[in-house]
Amino acid sequence: MAAKAIVIGSGPGGSTSAMVLAEAGFDVVILEKGRNYFRDLTSPTPKTVFSNDELKSNVRAFEDPDTDAEPRTYRADASETNPFVGNVNHIPATVGGGAVHWDAKTPRLWDIDFKKLSMLGPVDGADVRDWPFSYADIAPYYDEIERLIGVQGDIHQLPDVTLQHAPRTHQLPMPPGPPQYSSLIAAQGARLLGLQPAPTPMAINSERYDGRPACNNCGFCSHYGCPTHARIGALAPLRRALLAGATLKPNTFVYKIEHNGSRATGVSYVDSTGKRHTESADVVVLAANAIESIRLALMSGVPDPNHQIGRYLFFHWFTAGFAVFLRERMHAYRGRSTTHHVDDFANPDFPGAKEFAAANGLPYIRGGVLELGGTQDPIAEALIYQGTIMPVISSNRPFGRPFKQLMRASLLRDRFFGLEMIGEDLAQATNMVDLDTSVKDARGFPVARITYSPHKHEITAQTFYIPLITALLKAAGADASAAVPEMSSDRFPIAAGNVPGGAHIMGGMRMGADPKTSVTDAHGRLHALSNVMVSDASVFVTSGAHNPTLTLMATALRNARALAGSTSRPRVLGRKVTQDEELPATGVSASTRAGAGLVATAAGLAATLKRKARTSD
Amino acid sequence: MPELSRRRFIQAAALSPLVAFLPRGTIAQALAAPAAQPFEFFNAHQAGVIREATARMIPGPLDDPLEAGHPGAREANVVRYIDVLLAAFSHDPPRIHASGPWSDRSGGDEDYMENFVPLTPFQEATWRKRIAGLQVMYRNGIAALDAAAGGDYAGASAGKKDSTLNDAGDFRDVLFVHAIEGFLSVPEYGGNQDLVGWKEISWKGDSQPRGYTAAEIGESDGLDPVVPDVLVASVMANLDIAALAIAARRRGGR
Repeated sequence: MAAKAIVIGSGPGGSTSAMVLAEAGFDVVILEKGRNYFRDLTSPTPKTVFSNDELKSNVRAFEDPDTDAEPRTYRADASETNPFVGNVNHIPATVGGGAVHWDAKTPRLWDIDFKKLSMLGPVDGADVRDWPFSYADIAPYYDEIERLIGVQGDIHQLPDVTLQHAPRTHQLPMPPGPPQYSSLIAAQGARLLGLQPAPTPMAINSERYDGRPACNNCGFCSHYGCPTHARIGALAPLRRALLAGATLKPNTFVYKIEHNGSRATGVSYVDSTGKRHTESADVVVLAANAIESIRLALMSGVPDPNHQIGRYLFFHWFTAGFAVFLRERMHAYRGRSTTHHVDDFANPDFPGAKEFAAANGLPYIRGGVLELGGTQDPIAEALIYQGTIMPVISSNRPFGRPFKQLMRASLLRDRFFGLEMIGEDLAQATNMVDLDTSVKDARGFPVARITYSPHKHEITAQTFYIPLITALLKAAGADASAAVPEMSSDRFPIAAGNVPGGAHIMGGMRMGADPKTSVTDAHGRLHALSNVMVSDASVFVTSGAHNPTLTLMATALRNARALAGSTSRPRVLGRKVTQDEELPATGVSASTRAGAGLVATAAGLAATLKRKARTSD
Repeated sequence: MPELSRRRFIQAAALSPLVAFLPRGTIAQALAAPAAQPFEFFNAHQAGVIREATARMIPGPLDDPLEAGHPGAREANVVRYIDVLLAAFSHDPPRIHASGPWSDRSGGDEDYMENFVPLTPFQEATWRKRIAGLQVMYRNGIAALDAAAGGDYAGASAGKKDSTLNDAGDFRDVLFVHAIEGFLSVPEYGGNQDLVGWKEISWKGDSQPRGYTAAEIGESDGLDPVVPDVLVASVMANLDIAALAIAARRRGGR
C-alpha cells in the first residue's frame, strides 16, 4: 500500500508538495479550508467564476477570507492590551490559495538572502541567520518552477546587479509581454536617475503556454482572480497532483494535527457540513500560509520546548510612491498591474546606503525591489475622495458636485500611477504569531494574534529611499508626487495605518539545524514531528527584498523531493505525469511549448478563449 | 473611431460645466424607473428618501444645474443597487457575488455576470448577519432623515436635504459608500444603469474577454491636459494625505 500524505492547503506550497508526492506514488489528500471556484481542475484552463468586478473582489472579498468570520488580531508589542481585530494580512483561502489573486511577479531572492549572516554579518537587535542552502543549491528548483507556472521575462534585460546576486543559466520560458505606459514613464524617470529599470519576470503567459492562452492584459490583475488562466499560479502543480491521483477536499478546515511522540498520526478537520473527522496519515504537509500554519501548529500542541514556533515572523516593509500627471492620462488600469521594476534599492551597496546605515548605527541597509506603474480602480478612487479629500476641501458638505468633478478629472486613478518598494524585514524574536486568548473565529477556534514592530533597519532603509522614490517620480515628469510608508507601527507614527499589510507573510517556523533557534530542519520538517513537512513561507529564514512566492514554491519543491526520496516505497501510478513529459526544456521554441498530451480535454475552451482574444483585438 | 470621439466629448464636457447636454431619454428613464419595477426591501417612501439623499451626494442634471450632461446617482439607479444589496437573500443564489468569467459588454457572447455565485453555508452565515445589520441601519437611518427634515426628507428643500444629510453621522458615510458602489460597479448589481457611472469617468469597465491591445497598453492616448482649477489644486496640495489613505487601503490588498 502507498504511503498516505495529507496536505493542508492547496496554495503554491501545498500544491507543489502534493504534485511531488503524488507523482512519487504517495496516496495524497489535499484539505483546503476555502471553497473551490473552479470546475475540472485537471484541465489546463478550468472553468472559473472570476471576473473583472471591482465590487466582488475588492469590496466583497470574493477571493479573500471574510474577516468578520475569520479575523486576526494585531498589536505592535506585547504591552498593548487592546489589539486591533480584523484584517491582518489576510490572503486568499480558496483552492489555489494566495496565487489565486497574486500579482505573479516572480523575481528570485539573491545569494545574500540565503547566506545573510555569512555574507553581510549580524545586526544588533535582529537575529540574522543563514538558510540551510545557498542560492546555487536552490537555482535548479527556481528554473523548474519558472517552467512549471510559465514565467515571462528576458534575462538579458535584467541589470547586472540582479544577475550578479541571482545568476541565471537559462532564459525564461516566455519573452516579456507588452509594456505598460505608466511603467515606461516611470522607467524613464528611473533611467534619468542612473537606475536600471527592466521588464519584471512574472508568471503570466505572454504567449500560449502549456495549454493556456496568452494574457490579454485586461487590467484586473493584482487582487483579482484570473478569468483566462494566463496567470495559472498554484493550479499548475495542483493539476499535476490531481492527474497523478491526488484527492482535493475543499471547505475542509483542519483544526488539529494529531501526534504521538515525535510523529504525527493524522489530522482532525471540520467538513463543509460542520461535522468533525479524524483521518490518519503517514506524512502531513503543513501549507496553510505562514500565519495559519503557525496557528494550526499551536492549536495542535506541537511540542515546542524552546518556544520557537511563531517567532521571527516577517512582513515585507512596503513603501509607496504616487504621482499625478496633468498633461495626459496614464491609463495604468490597462495591463498587468505593473510591467517594470528597479532592483537597485535591494542592493546593500547602493551608493550612499552604507554611509547612511553607518550614520544610523547599522552595518548596512537594504530597501527592496521597486515596482513601477499601476493604479487603483474607480471605487477605490472614489472612496479616497469620499473619505479623505472631500472632508478637507468641503467640510460642511463633503459631497455633491465637487465629488463628481474629482471623479471626472481622475487625478488619483487615470492621471496617476504608483511605485511600490518591497523592503526587506529583519528577523526579530518578538515579531510573532500566537493564539489570541479571547477572539475566536466563526467556527469557534482561537484566531491568530500577530505581534509585530519594525526593526530600526527597516525604518532607516525607508527613510533613506523615500526621497529617491520621490525623485524618480519627479524625473518621470510628475506634476505632483508623494512617497509614504505603507506599513506602520507606534515606532513609525507617520505611517499609513496601524496594522501591517502587504500580503507577504513569511517566517515563524524557520528552517535550521539547531532546534534551539529554528522550528523546522534543513528540509522543512518539524524538529518536533519528523513526518510533518512545512511547505509555505513560514520556513523562510530571511525575508529577502523581493516577492516571495517563487522562492516559496522552489523551496517546497526542493523539500518535497527530499521527502519523496527519503520515504519508502512510493507506488507509481498509471497516470503518473513526469516533468519531462509535460513541460518543455527551458528556451525551446514556442511550437513545442504547447504542452502536448495532457491538454486535450481543455483544448476546446482554451481555443475559444484564444479566438475571442484575437478576433476582438 | 466612434469610441474615441465619444470619449473625447465626455472629456470636453467634463472640463466645460456650462455645456448643457443630456443623453436622450435620461430624464424620462430616471422618472419612470421607480414605477417600472417594485423594490424588494424598500417601500416606496423609503426608496424615495434614498433616491433623493444619494442624488444629493452624486448629483445629476436634475439635482444640480451645473451637472447638465452628467448623470448622477438618480440616473444610475443607485437606489436599486442598495435595494438589491439589502434584499440579497430574497434570491437564490443570494445576490452577493456576480458570476464570471465575463459579461457580454467586451466581446463576450453571454453575460455570465447575470448569474450569482452560491455562497457556502459558512459564507452565508456571515453575509446574513451583515445584511441584517445593514437593514436595521437603513430603516433607522431613513426614519432619522425624515425626522430631521421635518417629517418628509424627500420633500424637503435642497438646502435642507444637504444639511440633514451632513448631520446624519455614520449613516451618511455608509450611504455615500453605497452610492459610490452603485454608481461604479458592474450593472448586474442593480446600479450603474446604462453604464452612466462608467461613462461619467471615461472608463470602459470590465474588459474581458477582449482585453486591451499592446498599443492600448503601451502607448499614450495623446495629450489631454486637465484644467488646473481649484479642485485640481486641492488634490495636488493634499496629495500627502491622499497618499497615506491610498497606501492604507492598499495594505489590506487594495
